[in-house]
Amino acid sequence: MIAVNHLVHSFKVGKKGGERNIPVLKGVTLEVRKGEVTAILGKSGSGKSTLLHVLAGFMKPDSATVRIAGQETTGLSAAEYAEFRLEHFGFIFQNFQLMPGLTAFDNIALPLKIKGVPRGQRELNVLQLLKEVGLQEVADHYPNELSGGQQQRVSIARALITEPPIILADEPTGSLDSETEQDVLQLIRSLNENRGTTFVIITHDEEVAAIADRQYRLHDGELVKGGKRHAV
Amino acid sequence: MLFKDQIGFIRQHMKRNRLRTAMTVLAATMGCAFLIVLASVGFGLHKTLMDELLSNQTVTEIQIHGKEDSGEPITAEEQELIRQLPGVDAVVARSYLESPSRVLLDDRLNRAQIILTDAEQEAKAELDLSAGALPSSRNEVIVGYHFAENLLTEQELIASEKGESPAGYRGDLIGETIRLEVMSSESEEPGPETWEFTIAGIAEEPAKDWRVDNLVLVDESFREEFPVFTAPEGEEVAPYFEINAYAEDLAAVEAVTESLKTEGYYVYSVTEEMTTMNLFFNVLKAGLIFVGTIAVLIASIGIFNTMTMAVTERTREIGVMKAIGAQPKLIQRLFLMESAWIGIVGTMLAVVISFAVSALVNQLIPNIVLNILAEDGAGAEGMNIIVSDIPWQLVVIASFISIGVAMVSGWRPARKATEIDVIQALRQEL
Repeated sequence: MIAVNHLVHSFKVGKKGGERNIPVLKGVTLEVRKGEVTAILGKSGSGKSTLLHVLAGFMKPDSATVRIAGQETTGLSAAEYAEFRLEHFGFIFQNFQLMPGLTAFDNIALPLKIKGVPRGQRELNVLQLLKEVGLQEVADHYPNELSGGQQQRVSIARALITEPPIILADEPTGSLDSETEQDVLQLIRSLNENRGTTFVIITHDEEVAAIADRQYRLHDGELVKGGKRHAV
Repeated sequence: MLFKDQIGFIRQHMKRNRLRTAMTVLAATMGCAFLIVLASVGFGLHKTLMDELLSNQTVTEIQIHGKEDSGEPITAEEQELIRQLPGVDAVVARSYLESPSRVLLDDRLNRAQIILTDAEQEAKAELDLSAGALPSSRNEVIVGYHFAENLLTEQELIASEKGESPAGYRGDLIGETIRLEVMSSESEEPGPETWEFTIAGIAEEPAKDWRVDNLVLVDESFREEFPVFTAPEGEEVAPYFEINAYAEDLAAVEAVTESLKTEGYYVYSVTEEMTTMNLFFNVLKAGLIFVGTIAVLIASIGIFNTMTMAVTERTREIGVMKAIGAQPKLIQRLFLMESAWIGIVGTMLAVVISFAVSALVNQLIPNIVLNILAEDGAGAEGMNIIVSDIPWQLVVIASFISIGVAMVSGWRPARKATEIDVIQALRQEL
């Protein structure tokens, strides 16, 4: 599903004129298989978020070959990548990134709105998904009226609403307590099994990584261990 | 994103910042209303003077005063040539009956000016009447609007000479038979010959209040029958009272005027004055619109600030939208639509307010001006002063400027929104 080959990226730091290059990713090569949950595990500063940003097209790497769903993505323009994201990706963020002025229902419907799906179809899809993630009761609540777990469920539902083949999750349980964390992980697992959606989870948490079919461990921008795990 | 959803998206954002949006709309409204009201004064004064100009004469009338390099009067052949020019409907040549004359109706007398004219051409020129109809036979005449009040009995005549204002003839003149006595040039006594005419119509009231129309329009063919007038030695008699050409419509006036000028005639038409007046007022209006546009530009600073703040405040939301697949063009369009909305609503309110202000100004200021003029002894009664006029063209120009400026001022913030870095935006604190 995703094939990353020799991904190299560095950041420029320091004042103009006296800039230094700090390498973040030093030739990462990995593979994400269709229908699997893949965890990219690493400590803070290991380069895992940079890797996710490159996959999502939020930044261009210094050099790499990235093939997602059969398409070479490193050459895409900003507008082309936006289109590509809408078709292929769903995003789950650590701090949920919900629109404060929209209800849970409208937050979930947002990607469909961007896609230009008519209202009737939108409502049908959102109601169905609300049921699936157990949020029917709070559909008309605003984000500040929801608990952390509920907000992350809304965020997951928003990621799934366009039925993308891949969900990129950046520390999906980073803002949740351990009990809620388990709920969310179970939800991710069940969605993966029921829908066959490919999940790429970026995390520093071994427990979160434990639900993955495949794990990659990043350390100082290099892959130190990777491979297929036993099914959880 | 569907257009309906884009509108909903903008509305939802503006609802969150109601006060700020309202104040920005207010600024846009004030700027645009100032532009419209200011320019409307130019349009109003232009209209006032145009109406005044056009009400003083028949707009299709072209007065012909003579011909270059020739002291000779315009001949009948020349009149015929003028008549055949393209765009000319009629040429009316009115001439005086030089011999002293008087008009009698029963015991009443009027020393009216007798004018000989071609009834057919008068009919073609669509002579305006206040009553009756154009003559259908050669024994029918048209009398001036003031003919009746100058038709006096002997007592009234004496009273009139004493400075009183007698009422004159009160009855209906149409169909009445008048007697015309034409005297010889040597004597004031009535000549031996008398003609009888039936009054077919009464001319329209002259546009100028001071003008007294005490004419009797008699058919040209009577010239042969009336006694010949011999001018006193040393005096010249103008053969024609006036020669006027009438164009088919106002649009043809300019062309006919130009043709006549090319032919060497001294002419005057309403377009002569209109051209100069239009030039002056168009420059004035352009100047007023320019000054008004400055107010709109000042208001646009408010729109720019509002939109810049909106982009800054929504950086994280823009980041999320971009992250989940919104095209940069969509983001730009949403912000441009928002600034356009401010411009459109501001303009709509401004148009309504401007019409209200215009109506109020037109109620108050003319009364004040007329009162001041009356106190100064300058008679301006009957003058229709339009201080402010808002034609649809002004509304279109002002709307175009106002909405255009609003969109231009929203363009930079909208562009900035598209350049927002997703990673930075997502890192922003809630």
